[in-house]
This record gives sequence, structure tokens and C-alpha cells, in this order.
Amino acid sequence: MHRKLWIGAIALALLISLGWGWNEYRLAGEYRLAAENNNRRALNDFASHLDQLETDLAKGNVASNPAQKILYLSQVSSKSEAALKDFAQIPAQQTGLSYVGQFLTQSGEFARILAQRVAGGGAITSEEETTLRDMHERLMPVNQQVQDLILRMDTEKLVWTDPDPSWRQRLGLGTQVAEAAADGSEAPSKSVSSGLDQLDAGLQKLPPFSYTGEYSTRVVAKPLGLPAGEVTKDQALEKARDFLSKIGYADATPEFSGESQTELACYIFNYKESYLEVSRQGGAIVLYRDQRAIEPKTLKVEDASNKAKAILQALGWQQVAITSSEEFGSYVQFDAVYEKDGVRIYPDKVRLMIALDNGQLVGFDATPYYAFHHERTFPAKLTMEQAVRKLRPNFQVLESRLAVIPKSGNKEVYSYEFRGRYQGEEYLIYLNATNGAEEKIQRIIKTPRGEYLK
Amino acid sequence: MKVHIRHWRMVITIGLLLSITLSGFAYAALGDRLLGRGSKGSEVTELQKKLVQLGYTVGTVDGKYGSKTEAAIRRFQKEHGLRVDGLAGTQTIKELKRLTGQSTNASGKAVGYKNIDTNLLARAVNAEARGEPYIGQVAVAAVILNRIADPAFPKTVADIVYQPRAFSSVDDGQINLPPSASAIRAAQEAVTGSDPSGGALFFFNPAKTSNKYIWSRPQIKQIGNHMFTK
Repeated sequence: MHRKLWIGAIALALLISLGWGWNEYRLAGEYRLAAENNNRRALNDFASHLDQLETDLAKGNVASNPAQKILYLSQVSSKSEAALKDFAQIPAQQTGLSYVGQFLTQSGEFARILAQRVAGGGAITSEEETTLRDMHERLMPVNQQVQDLILRMDTEKLVWTDPDPSWRQRLGLGTQVAEAAADGSEAPSKSVSSGLDQLDAGLQKLPPFSYTGEYSTRVVAKPLGLPAGEVTKDQALEKARDFLSKIGYADATPEFSGESQTELACYIFNYKESYLEVSRQGGAIVLYRDQRAIEPKTLKVEDASNKAKAILQALGWQQVAITSSEEFGSYVQFDAVYEKDGVRIYPDKVRLMIALDNGQLVGFDATPYYAFHHERTFPAKLTMEQAVRKLRPNFQVLESRLAVIPKSGNKEVYSYEFRGRYQGEEYLIYLNATNGAEEKIQRIIKTPRGEYLK
Repeated sequence: MKVHIRHWRMVITIGLLLSITLSGFAYAALGDRLLGRGSKGSEVTELQKKLVQLGYTVGTVDGKYGSKTEAAIRRFQKEHGLRVDGLAGTQTIKELKRLTGQSTNASGKAVGYKNIDTNLLARAVNAEARGEPYIGQVAVAAVILNRIADPAFPKTVADIVYQPRAFSSVDDGQINLPPSASAIRAAQEAVTGSDPSGGALFFFNPAKTSNKYIWSRPQIKQIGNHMFTK
């Protein structure tokens, strides 16, 4: 009797687990299918956008009347953006730089620049015509190979990514598939991702396009504002101690903890909970951050602003003026920019953080200043009245000044800055100081932490 | 007949009194009273939601002021220069309300939180650099922003974060965890231009990575456990 009960219970448990397993299996299948559909959609979209891009590029080459040229060039730029978005959704093997992505970005941007020029009444040089043709030439094989991949998915059952290394390979008995593919080896691809990797390797071998891009880099090739002369580690240590004593850590003993290898190479020091970088060239304090616990606040933002000014004086930063603040709770972040002859030089920026418990400096970042600071010569300019006349009617000016603003591609523009209101919104409008052209518009948003430019 | 009327009057009076007090409970706004350990109700739920929005986890948002909510309040007070007492009083609630408010334009019109990108960035920082020093967290956020500026990468935060296989935290689902307060702060700081990574495009943990490609990239500097590379 007892035994029968047991057998029944076990049989029931088996049935339940079988049912559960089958259900899980079915669910997993559904998820796999959903993922597969997504991937296929991305790849097909990618191929389709590439194909349209190729056609539009060809048409853009041949079009001679400006309206047609603008139309096709703008389509090139929007299609390349769409293709880039699809490309980013295809499962890839490597997290490396992608030359396909780079190629798409460049061709889209180049077409956009040309379209804007033609729209503004300008002409395309013969050199640029050549570059445009060159882009088309390069795009054709890319387009072909992607279409070939899609064809092979049907005929050869290509998988998305190379299979994960087997247990034998994991134990070190074989080479890793992923690394072989990353080397750009020419073996026939077994998966879509290695096919795209090969495409990438093919593009990598080609010389770069001969045009200067506009895309913004956040770093410069060589820092422009560092003092001359190399300093040794010991000299840098002295600089660090001097800095720490000026901000309230007398007799500090910073410890060397490494070096950075950027264009702005630095010695890195640690002291208590703070991190400090001293540049190898010139021994300047580039970056400082104190992570100490901050006590309940005793200061207001205005008090902190005065403290920041005093600290700037003490550290020898007489020529910078505080332009904005952002409150982070226990500390306030201030940005100060270099001013020369009443011109605000926005690229030469220094950032400070002041603790609201005792007004001590808890953060300092002069990287932008040292990267961009150099002697500038200002070209002849319009008068303020002439500039104001270039503004749109009904723009109510609240503040105005001269400024140098950064533009994408590490360029700078000497301009008039107007802060003003238009239909209930506040903006910063920058007009080129030489010709009055509108260079940049920023909308001012008030966030809970301070003003924000967008 | 007279008895009957008196009876009705009593019922109406009691009903009125009850409904007034009850509605008072139900609609008590956050900030009307001091909240502390053991408090319950819709105000506590609102308080918890605001804490979570700013990156202070409270376990589940359940309208009960328990030990986790108290710990979250303490952390919030500590990081915002307030007296640390674990109670949600006028000061604390005022600061919470201010920081969770929407952004406005010049004429005071609400224009939304304006933090969609910062939010995803904060999630990525939280998933990739939890436990790293704060400056290392800012650097991780800066890497993602540097990628946007680089021609070889996609052009939006979402495209970069969700680029297949780009971040291991996306593959294992950690990206979906609510970001911590310090991750949010790091993301905000990077968005306003800080880049302690020195223009890096990649970062990895040297102790845990054997990937040849990533080791071949020119190294910039190490912050905490992360090596930042070009």
C-alpha cells in the first residue's frame, strides 16, 4: 500500500517536471526567435540603407543643378546615419573600433558639409568631387559584401557570431576563435560577425580620405597651455605638496601612485582620500579630487562662490572669472574661464568644487585650460551696434560681451555673446564677430541644480 | 418620529467627521509632518519614490518607513550636507523635492527632467564601475561620451551602451539595476564636461581581461581597478 503511494508520488513529480521542462523549452524557443527576428531586421535594414546610400551617392555625384545636388547629398547623410544605427544593432564579436562605422560617419558628414555649402550658395571644388567619387568607389564593395552575407545566411546557414570556445579550447587545447577573427585573418567567415570583421579589416587597409572632418574631438594632439620644461618626479611631488598646503592640508605627504601616458602626461599622487595629477611638462596641477566625507553644510552657494574666488587668487589664477555653478548637495561645482581684454575665452576653462561644510577645495580640473590655452590674436570686428542689428527682431538682449567659443573640430570662433529672451525662452546667441554670422545658439534651462545649456 | 430624526442627525455628523479625518489621512502631502521609523502611508511612498529617483535604494517602495528607508535617508542627508538623523523632516523633504523637480525654461514652464541620456549613462556607470572610486566612475561616463565624439562609434548614448557585446554589463543584465546616487552624480559631472580618463575610448580591468585587442590599445592611465586606453 505504502509502496504504491510512493510510486504514484514519484510518477506525478516526474510528470510535473516534464511539463515544466517542456514549458521552459517552449519559452526559450520564443525568446530565441524574438532575438533572431531582431537581428535579421537589423541586418536587412542595414543592407537596405547601404544600398540606398550607394544609389544616392552615385546620383549626388552626377547631379549638376544645386537643388538636386542638395537633395541627394542630404539623403546620403541621413541614409548613412540610418545605416550606422542598424549596424550598431547587429551582434558583433569584438568591442573594437569599427572602420565600417567610421566610414559611414565620414561619408555622411562629408555629404552634409557639402550640402550645406551648396545650400548657402557655395560651390564644390574638384578635389571634393574626387573625394565624393572615392567614397562611392569604396562603398560599392562594402554594399556587395553585405548583400553577399545575407545571401549566405540562406544558402550556408551562417550563424550570427562564431560559436563560443568549446570546453577543449577553454582548457587551452586549441586557439580561441574570437581572437583569430579579430586578427582579420582571411579564412572564409563562418558567421555574420566575422564576415563584418573581414569587411572592417578590408576598409582598414585603405588610406584615409583627404578632407578635414568637423567631428569634435575632446582632446588635442598636443597641449597648448602647459609651461615649458620637464619636471622630475621629486619636483612634481614638491608641486603637489605646495598645492595641498595652499588648500588647507599643511605638511601633506602625498604618495606617488603611477603615471599617465596621455598627450598631457602626468605623475599621479594620492594623499589620504584625494587623487592628484601633476603634469610632467611644466609641473602644473591638472586634476585634483578629494573624496573626504563632507559634514553638514554651513555655507550657502554665494559663500562658496566667494571661497572659490579666494582659492583661485591663492593658487595664482588671477585671470579667470567664474561663469557658472552647479549644486551637487554637499559641494558646489564652479566653472571659471580665462578673460583677456574683456573677451571671455570659453575653451580655457578651469573647474573647481567647493565643499559646503568648511569651504575647502574638494575638486579642481584644469585639463581644458592647459589643453587649449594659447595667445590669441583677435581679428578686426563689427561694432556692438552692428552686431545687435544682425539679431532677429524682438530678441530682448539681457547681457552682451565678446567671447571665444569652441567649435567642432577643435576650431575656435571669435564672437559676440548675447544672452537674451525670445517668446518666454532664454538663449545664448553667438554671432561671428567679424561677419555677424550666427555661429551657435544655446537654450538656457533651469534644472534643480543650476542653469544648464543645451 | 422625533427619535428617528435625531438618529439620522447623529449618523450624518459621525459620517462627516469620519470622512474629513480619513480624507486628511489619505491626502496628507509629503512635508506636512515629520516622517520617521514606523511611519506609513502615501507620503512615505512618495518619499521612497523620490529617494529611488535620486539613486538611494529603499528595497521595495511599499509606503512603510523601515530600516532600509531610514538608511537611504541617512545616506541622502550625508551626501547633501544635512544633519544626519534618519528622519525626514522639513529640511530633508524640501531638498528631496527640489532635486526631484522638473527643469523649467526662462518663464518657469516645466520642460521635463531633461535627463534621459544622463539616466542611461548613470546606469552604465553603475553597472560597469560600482565599487570604483568616484573619479573612476566619472571617467567611465566620459569614455561613453568620448565614443559619441569619435567617428568610429555610434552617435547616441543608447546606441553605444546597447551596441551588442560592447559592455558585459548589458549581456548579464546589470545595466537594468537602478543606478546609485554616486553613479548619477558621476554621469551628471561627465555630461557637463569633466573627463578624468584623458580622452579614453576603452577601459578594462587588467586583472580580469585577457582579450588581446584591448591589451594592444595605447594605455592612458589606471584609476582604481580600471585601465583606460585610447
